[in-house]
Amino acid sequence: MIEVAVSKRVGAFSLEAEISGGGFVCVAGRNGSGKTTLLRSIAGLTRSDGYVKVDGGDVSKLPPERRSIVMVTPASPMLHLDVDSHIMWGAKQSGVPVSGDRVKEIKSSLGIDFGGQVRRLSLGMKERVSLATALLSGRRVILVDEAFANLHDKEAFMVVYKGLAKKAGADVVFSSLDSSDGRMADHLFIIEDGKTKAAS
Amino acid sequence: MVSVVILLVPILVLLYYGLGPLESPEGLSGAVLRSIALTLVSSALSVVVGALLFTPLAYYLARSKDRVSEALVDIPVSVPHPIIGVALLILDSPETPTGQFLLKVGINFYNTLLGLVAALVIMSAPIYVKSMQQYFEARDTSPEDFARGLGVGRLRTLYSVVLPDSMGGLATASLLSMSRAMSEFGSISIIAYYVLQYPFYGVSAASVTIFSLFSGAIPGGLNAAVTASAAMILVALPIALAGHFLRRKEND
Repeated sequence: MIEVAVSKRVGAFSLEAEISGGGFVCVAGRNGSGKTTLLRSIAGLTRSDGYVKVDGGDVSKLPPERRSIVMVTPASPMLHLDVDSHIMWGAKQSGVPVSGDRVKEIKSSLGIDFGGQVRRLSLGMKERVSLATALLSGRRVILVDEAFANLHDKEAFMVVYKGLAKKAGADVVFSSLDSSDGRMADHLFIIEDGKTKAAS
Repeated sequence: MVSVVILLVPILVLLYYGLGPLESPEGLSGAVLRSIALTLVSSALSVVVGALLFTPLAYYLARSKDRVSEALVDIPVSVPHPIIGVALLILDSPETPTGQFLLKVGINFYNTLLGLVAALVIMSAPIYVKSMQQYFEARDTSPEDFARGLGVGRLRTLYSVVLPDSMGGLATASLLSMSRAMSEFGSISIIAYYVLQYPFYGVSAASVTIFSLFSGAIPGGLNAAVTASAAMILVALPIALAGHFLRRKEND
């Protein structure tokens, strides 16, 4: 369960956003509506006023590495690693044991059919690897900033990811330009000019 | 184009006269070649020390936008370079408390390889820091943000995520700062005019040797100084050009 009420002013743009919910949460809005600023505020990567609570605990004053919140973007992959090392990297940092079989299972579920250097993967495959890494990391919340958008099987992938995240005990907050992605979500928030409103 | 030629005139003049009409055997003597070797070794060492000590600073400056520290980093190259030599001399003088302490623990800068490298680190590190800072600023921070979300602190992110993917930036910054170190004269002529240690016993850095040839402190005169300068240019030029082209490649 994540509860967020944050505000931030960047030049003429003002973010005043509130979202709450668990499971699969969609934040939909047009380019420049404030989706990325909101997700970065939740992750602690952008300073903002207000609060971010994870399971009732306020993490607003904690640095990004101590919030149990990971943010995935299309540019997230650590290119110097190979695919398997990358997928296990987050779990290794958290001390979460991950077996080789579990890595194989996740790769197969998320359509990752490559084992070489992450640098050599296509954009969509890199995103799958980052999302798999986040999933196995044991983080409580996974923020996905338009990282589903470049997948050819976006809808099927989201269904699978939703199931895997639930199994891993992680809430997912994903941003999208397309509000129809909200039908996959447990909660949908529309963001417009930095202001959110709950749509479902 | 004319401006480039104006800048290159001193180099071209030295190459032409040093390897042509004014060529002198003393300018390519064993002593000169040893001084070039010392310059290469001490400059390379200063780059290694500089990279170890100052890469985290460059990363901090790139990510924090701390303008005060950024301005402070430029100070060593903004003051007359002999001042740094004098400062090291005072720092390590038996007449000062700092010097008494350093000498007691075996740290002696005066006419040692350690002193030479210390001066070169101070004089070349600002170039290294600037170059690495620009490189880090140009990098997308998404992988770092991702790593921090996965529970890794800022410093470990630098070593486990940023640096393994920054070999080009490291090589460029190292070559540029090595070029700077190889050209240093002012500070090292005070703190380490000679190195009095094996395997460079009695050897001066190339810039100091060229000055000594020119001034007559060692036999050779102007012709030997010009020839030694040309030899030094031939050694230094590929390093400077490699640093420059690597940087251009990074930016493209």
